[in-house]
Amino acid sequence: MKNSYFPGCNLKTEAKGFEESAIAVSKALDAELVEMPEWNCCGTVQTMTTDNLMRRIAPVRVLSRASKHVKELKDSQNQVTTLCSMCNSTLKIVNAEVKENPNDLEKINFQLENDELIYEGDMEVKHFLEILRDDVGYENIAKKVTNPLEGMNIASYYGCMLLHPDKAKIDDEEMPTVMESIVLSLGAEVVDWPYFKQCCGSYHIVDRDDIVNSQVTKIIRNAKKTGANALIVACPLCAYNLDNQQLEMQGVEKDPIPIFYFTQLMAIAMGLPQKVNHFEDNHINPEPLLKELGLLGKKK
Amino acid sequence: MSYDYIEFGETEKEFTSKIEEISGQNIFSCYQCGKCSAGCAFSNLMEKTINHTIQLVQLGKKEKVLQSNTHWVCASCLTCTVRCPREIDVAAVMEAIREYTLRYEPETIERLDLPEELLKKIPNIALVGSFRKKSEL
Repeated sequence: MKNSYFPGCNLKTEAKGFEESAIAVSKALDAELVEMPEWNCCGTVQTMTTDNLMRRIAPVRVLSRASKHVKELKDSQNQVTTLCSMCNSTLKIVNAEVKENPNDLEKINFQLENDELIYEGDMEVKHFLEILRDDVGYENIAKKVTNPLEGMNIASYYGCMLLHPDKAKIDDEEMPTVMESIVLSLGAEVVDWPYFKQCCGSYHIVDRDDIVNSQVTKIIRNAKKTGANALIVACPLCAYNLDNQQLEMQGVEKDPIPIFYFTQLMAIAMGLPQKVNHFEDNHINPEPLLKELGLLGKKK
Repeated sequence: MSYDYIEFGETEKEFTSKIEEISGQNIFSCYQCGKCSAGCAFSNLMEKTINHTIQLVQLGKKEKVLQSNTHWVCASCLTCTVRCPREIDVAAVMEAIREYTLRYEPETIERLDLPEELLKKIPNIALVGSFRKKSEL
């Protein structure tokens, strides 16, 4: 099966390891992510105003082009897959909104006239985690594991955008299980911790890093207290905040723990080539931990 | 302790209905249970709690609402929205207060001077998100 895939801006810059590992994993699991042509920025944050249609044009344009792409792919459902949880939430919310309000969709489509491509409200937006859960299945992930992640205690960090609001959530908002189930199928241990969706401070990193630092401190301290030796995330901004700010605060908080994208751990467990993970982009080098546990270099 | 004389004239009414219009929420649905503030990850940094801000919007106290940092500290994580027992999209109300300032009083917003090394380092989703929430862009 093939999935139309919308990367979003960060997967091409800071989060190359996320994109490449996800594509490699998707191929190995027969749910290939195929990048859609001519995509544009989704706008990152959805507008919560009732009257600002301008901010809804970019996501609708993505959906209209994805709709064209799935027709070309043939072996594909009417859905576009995302990796970044902010893109996921923005596209899902706007998709639901324009389906509910055909008048708004008509106005937005009018703006897309020069594209000669309008959106007919026929697409669904899926996060790659949903594809893994619903289309691939945890048993099939477990079957591909050649390098079980023994010794890893993983705290699954969902962040806010995967679980909020109702229109965008991929799992139960107060008790999600999708990330934990994947971790278990990779042969690692999960930790039960309360900070799985405590906001990391998000875009405040630009001008209020004090807000982000206080959040990151709480999240990391709690993860360590529950025995985690690594965190997994699905959002390049959560990853940056948790990863980089741990290093920034090293004077106060010692022994930083590495942050992985969930697909990076899948690539390691499935014995895929190391280069897809781009660990050189991680701020906290995860390789010492992986070496200590004997998980690196088993199969290249 | 002194109490403000509660006045709800045209000026107050205008502010309240503008916030309701931008957010699409019925602000008077709030019965002050405080669940939004209790679950907020940033309550400790806010000058006024969220439910207090909502009450001030109900009363049309524009100056008090806009002077507080509450809506700027909000990071739109939507925890309050999914937990509100009155099904108010609380985060949308915070967004409406930000939007009100950006649309009608943009001169009150401080311009940021971001160093180049920071701009190079920070992920673009943080920059786009921040500019969309905190500026008229």
